[in-house]
Amino acid sequence: MAESIILPKLGNTVESAIILAWHVEIGDSITAGDLLCEIETDKATLEVESSATGTLLARLVDVGEEAPVLSDLAVVGEAGEPLDDWRSFQPAQKSPANTLPVPVDSPPPPVVESETRQKISPRARNLAQRKRLDTSDVSGSGPEGRIIERDIEAALKNRPSVSPVAQAMLDSGDYTLGEATPGRVKKADLLPVAESRAVAEIPLRGTRKTIATRMLHSLQSTAQLTMHANADATALKAFRARLKNSPESLGLRGVGINELLLFAAARTLPQFPNINALFENDTIYQHAAVHLAQAVDTERGLLAPVLRDADQLPLRKLAEDAQQLAEACRAGKILPDQLHGGTFTVSNLGSLGIESFTPLLNPPQVALLGLGAMQLKPIEGEGEVAFVPHISLSLTINHQVVDGAPAARFLRALCRNIADIDLLALG
Amino acid sequence: MPKSLTIDPTEARSRNVICAPQIPVNAYQRDPIAEAAHYSREQLLMVYHDMRLIREFETALDSIKKAGAYRGIAYQHSGPAHLSIGQEAAAVGQCLALDACDFILGSHRSHGEILAKGLAAIRQLDAAHLLRTMEGYMDAAALTVVESLDDYTNEHSLARDWLIYSAYAEIFARVTGFNKGMGGSMHTFFPPFGIMPNNAIVGGSADIALGMALYKRINRKPGIVIVNIGDSSVASGPVWEALNFAAMDQYHTLWDAELGGAPPILFNFVNNFYGMGGQPQGETLGHGMLARVALGVNADAMHAERIDGYDPLAVADATRRKKSLLLEGRGPALLDVITYRYSGHSPSDASSYRERDEIELWRAQDSLRSYADYLCQNGHADGAQLAAIDESIVRQIETVIRAAIDPDLSPGLDPAGDAIGAMMFSNQTAEALDDREPEVLLPLDKTRLGVTAAKHRFGFDSDGAPTPRLRTLTYAEAIFEAMLHRFYADPSMIAYGEENRDWGGAFGAYRGLTEAIPYHRLFNSPISEAAIVGTAVGYALAGGRAVPELMYCDFMGRAGDEIFNQMAKWQAMSANALRMPLVLRVSVGMKYGAQHSQDWSSLVAHIPGLKVYFPATPYDAKGMLNRALRGTDPVVFFESQRLYSQPETLFAGGVPVDYYEVPEGEPQIHRAGADISIITIGAALYRALEAAERLQNQHNLSAEVIDARFLNPLNLQPLLESARKTGRALLVSDATERGSFLHSLASNLSQLAFDFLDAPVAVLGARNWITPPAELDEAFFPSAAAIIDTIHQRILPLPGHRPATDQSTREMLRRSRDGI
Repeated sequence: MAESIILPKLGNTVESAIILAWHVEIGDSITAGDLLCEIETDKATLEVESSATGTLLARLVDVGEEAPVLSDLAVVGEAGEPLDDWRSFQPAQKSPANTLPVPVDSPPPPVVESETRQKISPRARNLAQRKRLDTSDVSGSGPEGRIIERDIEAALKNRPSVSPVAQAMLDSGDYTLGEATPGRVKKADLLPVAESRAVAEIPLRGTRKTIATRMLHSLQSTAQLTMHANADATALKAFRARLKNSPESLGLRGVGINELLLFAAARTLPQFPNINALFENDTIYQHAAVHLAQAVDTERGLLAPVLRDADQLPLRKLAEDAQQLAEACRAGKILPDQLHGGTFTVSNLGSLGIESFTPLLNPPQVALLGLGAMQLKPIEGEGEVAFVPHISLSLTINHQVVDGAPAARFLRALCRNIADIDLLALG
Repeated sequence: MPKSLTIDPTEARSRNVICAPQIPVNAYQRDPIAEAAHYSREQLLMVYHDMRLIREFETALDSIKKAGAYRGIAYQHSGPAHLSIGQEAAAVGQCLALDACDFILGSHRSHGEILAKGLAAIRQLDAAHLLRTMEGYMDAAALTVVESLDDYTNEHSLARDWLIYSAYAEIFARVTGFNKGMGGSMHTFFPPFGIMPNNAIVGGSADIALGMALYKRINRKPGIVIVNIGDSSVASGPVWEALNFAAMDQYHTLWDAELGGAPPILFNFVNNFYGMGGQPQGETLGHGMLARVALGVNADAMHAERIDGYDPLAVADATRRKKSLLLEGRGPALLDVITYRYSGHSPSDASSYRERDEIELWRAQDSLRSYADYLCQNGHADGAQLAAIDESIVRQIETVIRAAIDPDLSPGLDPAGDAIGAMMFSNQTAEALDDREPEVLLPLDKTRLGVTAAKHRFGFDSDGAPTPRLRTLTYAEAIFEAMLHRFYADPSMIAYGEENRDWGGAFGAYRGLTEAIPYHRLFNSPISEAAIVGTAVGYALAGGRAVPELMYCDFMGRAGDEIFNQMAKWQAMSANALRMPLVLRVSVGMKYGAQHSQDWSSLVAHIPGLKVYFPATPYDAKGMLNRALRGTDPVVFFESQRLYSQPETLFAGGVPVDYYEVPEGEPQIHRAGADISIITIGAALYRALEAAERLQNQHNLSAEVIDARFLNPLNLQPLLESARKTGRALLVSDATERGSFLHSLASNLSQLAFDFLDAPVAVLGARNWITPPAELDEAFFPSAAAIIDTIHQRILPLPGHRPATDQSTREMLRRSRDGI
């Protein structure tokens, strides 16, 4: 009796996943618990294990294809066993171990080549052509995964808006969109078709698609204001140097500038519930606990893993956890639930030499801290000017619910805590 | 059922025996002296001429069919040729007793009969009438050819050549034939000479002929109707139904005596002893002599006789006597006319079922030769005179055949420009098909129209509250109003079926008509569905408007041939020489199990030549029936027993009291929408509206709901526009899914709207089961839930929807594989 391996639901908000690689060939034997394939959700790369033992009879989703959670990924059974049409309708709420009877005397349906091709309705195809939308990365929500009109409409909504002139040029077929440009596409963003062939075309999917949606949403749905300040980094540098040279047994050698700054933020935020807050559905949720998200640069794009109850963590634990989360992100092993629930985000571009920037909010969070590079700042003291290392802080707030003065007060408190980081670590 | 006829138990239970009259067999006595006194010499010679002409006409066909030539004229005829060589005396003798206004109908073997009747009619009609007829028929196409053959000085001889030419041209499928070749050998006919359609379905003419006899009686038209059918046809159901329908007591007990009694019909069985190869006498039937079956029909035994059909004068005598009693209203009559065909059933017949000796025995008594001997022996003619007749006939046939096969003079029909399509319907309208004052029992304002007109005409009052049901016009009453209107406008209109009078139809649609309409225009028929439809076909072909009713759609099977082969085809087979103003009301049942609850509208939609209407609201019921009853085409008018008590709830203006029509073939949009088109046929409309409401409330999906109303003709344009707009279409009806008309519609919409579609057009019919008991209706007929599930699983997945039924493509495959 053949049974299907389904795509497990990998988190409450995960609706679908893309198959990255298959690890078992059709005809190979497989044991329950064996690695079957790797998948990518909009949040993470994950491994799927086989829930059955037997011979892999069919792989129902190709590499690069997107599959809804709880749908059949593969069929495992006895070698030579006939297959029913596993791709079509499945009753809702099937269990992972669900098995369907396969009529013994019915011949297997002929293998139709088109089974693996992208299904798209004529109406959806026409709309995509009219709007010059590449459908290869659009996932279908119609019956049997067919791309239907609403999928194209959704994809179009996520596309940057186009000026009428640019649209006319695009419609002529002689021009195509150049490099990805933020905001409205104008005439200048277009390239003649001949030139555009040199441009790598990278369809949006997975993490990148999610980021694209969220970033635009962030800008479109909040009133963002960024203010800049500098914190005296003398103690920071010194403390970091001491930690680096501390006895190995203390386990503090790995605590870097970044982790110290995270620590400072985590310890400052509890005094500013209006900053450590979420704004949703016309309601402000002020959080007592600090769930600190840190922006992590990965190959697949920006991720923001969350340190839970960061304000309660001692420096060493906070630093270890932060580094593990970042590593998991870079390795694509982060779990979806570890990417959720942050109350405040820190984004550090200082190591790349950026002096200061205007980071985008991560809604529904109401504030986000950008960390710039360390710079020497001339400070007048005791009759002479001294060059004191400072670190630049850029705080973006949602001005809808956070006023300028409270934000400034938070920045000022943070600057003090950074300046006294060694004392803070003792507290 | 009539209250005036009491069934007295004392009488019913008293001891008695049934006495039957004796049936004469070959009673005619040859009496040359009396015959010479009765007939002129000219008449007696004409009998020979006509028999000889028929013999030569068919011999030529036989030669062309078997040898590819007649007297050196080469021709290949690819169509049929069922010959009656040997049977000429039966045909010619009959017509000796007939007038031009008398009708004959025949079978696939009726060349002899049509020639005999045509030749007789030509002699009876004056020159001006003949010329008018030939000039006015099919734009004088045949006349133009025939006039080019000779310098005619005599209109009667012109008309004879015209008759023979038109017959050959028809058999050879020439556009100059009687019916542009659309009838052909088995259906050659010419109504102006009383030669009505000949039927290739054995016995098919019996009930049609009766319908024509009813037309003559009810509309007080002159003449009688003879149906010439084969001896084997007596065993077919529709013939037996026609015999009984023709013998109903009500013609004498209930109809106005002033009308004149029973319909004037003679069932003339041309008994050549073979039904193709089967032998009714001694093999396939048990009556011994066919005339015996008349004993079972009525107390008069239909005045039946067996007649020697080898003697034209015996046949003429019997026909004359029967005609006389038929005109007195004492019909029906039956003749068992024995004869013999020397030719096979058809050219492919090797006569394996009979000995050559048998054929020789009959040849030895050949009717043509015996009659020639009779003429010579009694001094009416000599051999030389007869030889001269023979000679002129052969020359005439040669000339006419040359013209009939000449592709320039007699081209075949050019089907380009859809010439045949143009014949399928007459597409005319007529307020009345006769100019008499309609016979009614009450002035219009004294009828039940006074009650129905005063009712609420819309199911909701101005505040949107439902009006009281009993005081609101129903679908059944809308039917009544349309029927009443046409009864009072068209004197030729009649309606009948089971329980139509007194009961008012089993579902009350005719309530109020019994009081208003005299018996001969509204009557109860026997439970004979074939004859109910078949007589209506004949009535309509004769020129009247007929509205037969089948109590349940499921009974259509009992009238299959009449609906599929007769009602549907005669307009085109006559090349529009005839019209078919026939509206067949068919009631689709409910809650009555497997044999009383089926929607068979798809079956008739499949048959070319039928118009198919299926109203779902009272407004449409009246407006569409009004349209059907003013037209001249055959309409199968479906009604649903789910709807008879339904008030109008969709057309905001309600049902007008005044006359109005729904334009033929136009679907009706009942709810506008943007996201999906739900197209229904019949009562499924209301479940589609319920589903649309739920889709809006639960899924924010805007459904457009359209009632097709018509299956044929059907203007696809509005449906197409809707499907193009929404990109999604679901078709729903109560007909079982496999072979449903909805699949034709879905296929057409898919092809016409393909580039606009977001999903394949889906079809939701009833399951391919027997109709289960009423308690299981929900599982069998399309429900609102199943409509939503089908949309969810095949067209547009609805977030959060949990289907209650399986409408998946996998389930489609399973059902098809399992044949259910």
